[in-house]
Amino acid sequence: MSRFPLVEDRDGQTVVRIPLTRGLGLTPLQTVFAFLGLVGLFALPFLAGLVGLSWERLFRGILFGLAAVGLNLLLRHTELVSFGHAAFFGGGAYGVAVLAAHYNVSEGLLLLLGAVIVGTTLAVVIGYFVAGYVDIYFALLTLAFNQVLFATVFRSGFFNYNDGLQVRIGGDRPTLFFLEWTTLGYDLVLYYTTIVLMLVMLLAMWKLINSPFGRALDAIGQDRTRARFIGIPVEKYVWLSFTISGLYGAFAGGVYALLRLHVQPEPTLYVFVSGEILFMAILGGFTTLVGPLIGGIILVYLLEAARFWVEYYHALTGLVLLAIVFFMPKGIVGSLPDFNAWVAGRVREPGRLQEDVRSATAAVREGVDRATTTVRIIVFGVK
Amino acid sequence: MIESFVTHTLNGLYYGFILFMIASGLTIIFGVLGVLNLAHGELYALGAFVTFTIVGYLTGLVASPTGPVSALVFAVVVLLGSLAAAAVLLPVGAIVESVFVRPIYERAEVYQLLLTYALLLIFIDVMKFGWGATPVDPGVYSTLNQVPTTELVGFGYPSYNVIVMVVGLAVFLWLVWFFDRSKTGRIVRATAINRDMATAIGVSTDRTFTLVFAMGAFFAGFGGAMVSIGPGTAFLEMGLDPLVLSFVVIVIGGLGSLKGAFVGALLVGVISRWAIWQYPPVELAAPFAVMLAILLVKPEGLFGTWGEIE
Repeated sequence: MSRFPLVEDRDGQTVVRIPLTRGLGLTPLQTVFAFLGLVGLFALPFLAGLVGLSWERLFRGILFGLAAVGLNLLLRHTELVSFGHAAFFGGGAYGVAVLAAHYNVSEGLLLLLGAVIVGTTLAVVIGYFVAGYVDIYFALLTLAFNQVLFATVFRSGFFNYNDGLQVRIGGDRPTLFFLEWTTLGYDLVLYYTTIVLMLVMLLAMWKLINSPFGRALDAIGQDRTRARFIGIPVEKYVWLSFTISGLYGAFAGGVYALLRLHVQPEPTLYVFVSGEILFMAILGGFTTLVGPLIGGIILVYLLEAARFWVEYYHALTGLVLLAIVFFMPKGIVGSLPDFNAWVAGRVREPGRLQEDVRSATAAVREGVDRATTTVRIIVFGVK
Repeated sequence: MIESFVTHTLNGLYYGFILFMIASGLTIIFGVLGVLNLAHGELYALGAFVTFTIVGYLTGLVASPTGPVSALVFAVVVLLGSLAAAAVLLPVGAIVESVFVRPIYERAEVYQLLLTYALLLIFIDVMKFGWGATPVDPGVYSTLNQVPTTELVGFGYPSYNVIVMVVGLAVFLWLVWFFDRSKTGRIVRATAINRDMATAIGVSTDRTFTLVFAMGAFFAGFGGAMVSIGPGTAFLEMGLDPLVLSFVVIVIGGLGSLKGAFVGALLVGVISRWAIWQYPPVELAAPFAVMLAILLVKPEGLFGTWGEIE
């Protein structure tokens, strides 16, 4: 036993045990990060203003990031690229909006429950159809479902066309915990409720992917035929994971509607929102659990706020994504261990820093050489 | 009744030919390179912007038409300008392929999507840098309509639409000829069917891929040019919706199939214009519903071939 509570030795590694879970542990460094992350999350409404960031935008980033965490269950484990997750995000958001605008449900938590039910039902239905498909067909099918939904909402009076619906009941904000709140109080209560629920959902996801079910999903991702041979009901498991993944998106969408109090089709249901959710997962690091969350915050910030910093903000986002593709394929969070190892290595042997610089310049020179050669061949031909 | 049926069908065919020009590039790039190019819509938009500049310059050189014959000359000048604008896309496509896309053929497809999405964003700002954020229009639409076409058979229909249909048909026939009959086209098809074997008999797959990407960019740009000289304007986000509809088109026709893209494009065009005529609320959803039905019932599409052009 160690001197600290919750710290134990497992297979020669120091591991910090997470209370209330069995068998889940973090390395000391991960614990520090997790602790900092938690403190940051809870202090966010007060910290954000101090460093000049918009808390509301960060909140939205977290919500999209949570949808990306759901999508990542498919991307990381079953290796399916979904291009239609906005269907569940938007489904959840519209679940809240329709219940509030047409059925006068005024309690926020009930609205949220409605959102989760609507979005998850959508995921059950869509998942039933797409579970048997792989690769590009899976991506295109989810995209098609997404667009059918978008087009229906966009052209239907029930959903008030592209003007969208207000989440207000007779002009009033929904109540939370059956209490009326001021504007600031409403946002704060919504935020902390969401954060607590989100932590539970993250833990549940962690538990899920480390369970036998999660391992089965990994097996399905590696080779469906083999997975079928060892007795895994492939389609059923994919369907189930698709539903769970949709549930995360629906929850995030529901909170989004409660936060914005106005739901429009383009920012929630459009197919490029699906793409953004997918790219958040890769940007943050789809080999990790919390990577998509970080990616969500960063991408929402880049897409929305960068326009106040630079004129060509699209290009800025594009360059960040290019850098991810070419230099950090594991994403931001996924690259942290490599980065750590690199720093540790250089601290031990500072001499190797020169080597790094040399190899980096060589790589850049080689890349430029290759590109110029190709362009020269295109322009002047081989001779 | 008959007249409006004909008009809406013609509108649909016109729309379909525009879609075909965009989707043909997307489908040959997907068929040969195996990359779903999200930046394709922006190549189309770039074509529209370049057309604004080139056609605007060229039409400044000729006097505005007074009779049918000078209108025809004017139309020829505009079409040549559009071709020149699309030709600008050839080196653009070649450079994009050789610098950005080539290093990631072996990577997982999510990275290809992410890369082309990054290129989409960068292209938007390149166009913003070049032409500003306000929509532009070369303003040749009304003059093009002075060319006599349908009046000759006693039927009133904008000549511009007729010109686009003829051009679109020409593009289709040229592409079929290229892939069926020309030597380069056969080399491209051989590369699509079996990369290793093509390399073994002395084909440079690198250059084939660059050529195919440049061709795809060319036809996307040409589609953009045809829209730009019409009643519409060229604006920064114009590529997004046609890109998504091109997915529908190539799925209906079968991924990588040229004839499929042709039939799919005309089908989508006509269906959506009939929907506008009869029941407007389903206009947006109809193409995607067809796409869903095709994917669920016959995933390989109407002319389905996997990874080879036909």
